[in-house]
Amino acid sequence: MVRTNKDQLVEMAVWGEAWPAALRSPYRPNAQGESVVFMGTAGVILNVRVGDPAFGWAADHVEPGVSIRNREDGPEHALHYLACIGNEAIVVSGEAAGAKGVVTGEHAHIMVDFEPEVMEKIAIGDRIQIRAIGMGLELLDYPDILVRKISPQLLEAMRIEEIGNGRIRVPVAAVIPPYLMGSGSELGADYVDQDFMTNDRETLAQLGLDTLRIGDIVAIQDHDHTYNRGYREGAVTIGLINHADSYMTGHGPGVMDILCCATDKIEYYVDTENRPNLAAYLGIGNKTLA
Amino acid sequence: MVTTNRDRLITMSVQGNIVSPSYPGIPAIPHQIDHDGRPRLLPHLGGIVYNVRLGDSVYGWAGDNTEPGVAIKAPEPAANQALNVFACVGNEAVVMSGSAKGARGIVTGKSGRFAEHVIIAFEQEALEQMAIGDKIVVRACGVGMSVNGFPGVKLKSLSPRLFDAMRIEENEGKLTVPVRAVVPAELLGAGAGLTSEGGAICIQSMDRNALAKHGLDQLRLGDIVALADYDSAWGHGYRKGAMGIGVVSSTDSIKAGYGPGVTLLMTAPGGEIDPLVMDRVNLINILGIDWVGA
Repeated sequence: MVRTNKDQLVEMAVWGEAWPAALRSPYRPNAQGESVVFMGTAGVILNVRVGDPAFGWAADHVEPGVSIRNREDGPEHALHYLACIGNEAIVVSGEAAGAKGVVTGEHAHIMVDFEPEVMEKIAIGDRIQIRAIGMGLELLDYPDILVRKISPQLLEAMRIEEIGNGRIRVPVAAVIPPYLMGSGSELGADYVDQDFMTNDRETLAQLGLDTLRIGDIVAIQDHDHTYNRGYREGAVTIGLINHADSYMTGHGPGVMDILCCATDKIEYYVDTENRPNLAAYLGIGNKTLA
Repeated sequence: MVTTNRDRLITMSVQGNIVSPSYPGIPAIPHQIDHDGRPRLLPHLGGIVYNVRLGDSVYGWAGDNTEPGVAIKAPEPAANQALNVFACVGNEAVVMSGSAKGARGIVTGKSGRFAEHVIIAFEQEALEQMAIGDKIVVRACGVGMSVNGFPGVKLKSLSPRLFDAMRIEENEGKLTVPVRAVVPAELLGAGAGLTSEGGAICIQSMDRNALAKHGLDQLRLGDIVALADYDSAWGHGYRKGAMGIGVVSSTDSIKAGYGPGVTLLMTAPGGEIDPLVMDRVNLINILGIDWVGA
């Protein structure tokens, strides 16, 4: 097991509310310039969970499970920066009070997976609190590798191998080439995800990316996300697919950084037998992957 | 002869004010983080830049995405959206208030998300008379322009004056467009997934070897470049075989994913544009601007 500083991490509560979907103009252009009604972010989505396909939904940027946000700017950013994938969430108001779930990603909202019978009881505005732990997590023997926004529990479940010469090896579901990295490039790497671009379906199919699932662990080639996100030959980013595909040019499923290295200290391989997916690692969401 | 519907375009005034640079306040940590994690405090976006001009190198300045000459913005978001989308590269701009009132300049580019400025070149003498906040009108003309016989090619932020001067030729059903260099898709960064009707998309400059390999290490402000395998018809994104044309409008950046900003001028999702790489494909040569820095 890779050595970490997990005993030194601070566990702190942050919170948000189940957040309503919003719509301004009902239409936005898709990649072909056709007007489409966009639906998918925010709210409670009962029928798309982590482990489900990232493609094929008649929707845009689907956030699986329950999307939460805080009304106040400061607490909202605390929620964004401190909540880590794999953290425990607890409903603290409403009919589902006391029910527990798991943080599955960070997009426009923080996404939390609950069992369907819990989600059915959650009303918009219900408070959900997260026991945030993971910020500051380090791999003690691998100083060139940055860990970002995952819980110590998820890190330990990811089947990371130590292969010598200061390098680790990680199973992934697929490899994304640098030229497909799109929207999110303009944002700091400690905030939300970066979409990979899916408008060229032929290229996607050739690369085997059109079968990815929400929660899949992926590698991004030649991308350094240590400080902001950009092209650097030889760099590697390991990410997690946090939301589903998009209609928009330059958008697609979101990839949240979890391990970043500016050099070649992370090796990866595509594991086709045991899908490297959050649902399987934490026993949540789509149970067929477990 | 490549022709357009230029005689059907309208010319409309849009207006902005010269912007002020802006930095976050207390607790006084105003730095940008560079691609190696170093905090840097540098001149950033905005305002009046006296000594970085059209035709200068985009590299080597102790600045971050510096906009050459003057950057303007309208105070109301909707009016600024109109300014940012309707203003076209090559349009005339006129100073309407202050000591430089009456001075005329040329729109040279735009800045993207978090700035949304229009960038304008003026004579040095006029620049030195200007104050932050001065009103500048742009005589916007170009939105709605299309190329006769090329329905798949979309034009954006491109004035008829510039289009006609770009020495675009038709060859075997494609448009041959002179450019200074071709940017590969993996080096296009901040701006992907965002609007292509205004704003900019960055040429990523973190990997200097990659820049040199593609002849992008000698770029100058105002150079015309091609964007390979990018479809910018409805936002910027990867599509194999697509081709875009843009103008380099701001300097390099210290941040990963960022670099020289490019304002999109033309896009052919179906690949009906062939870039022709050559020297001296810069707004200065194309528009015959002999007064920058004079």
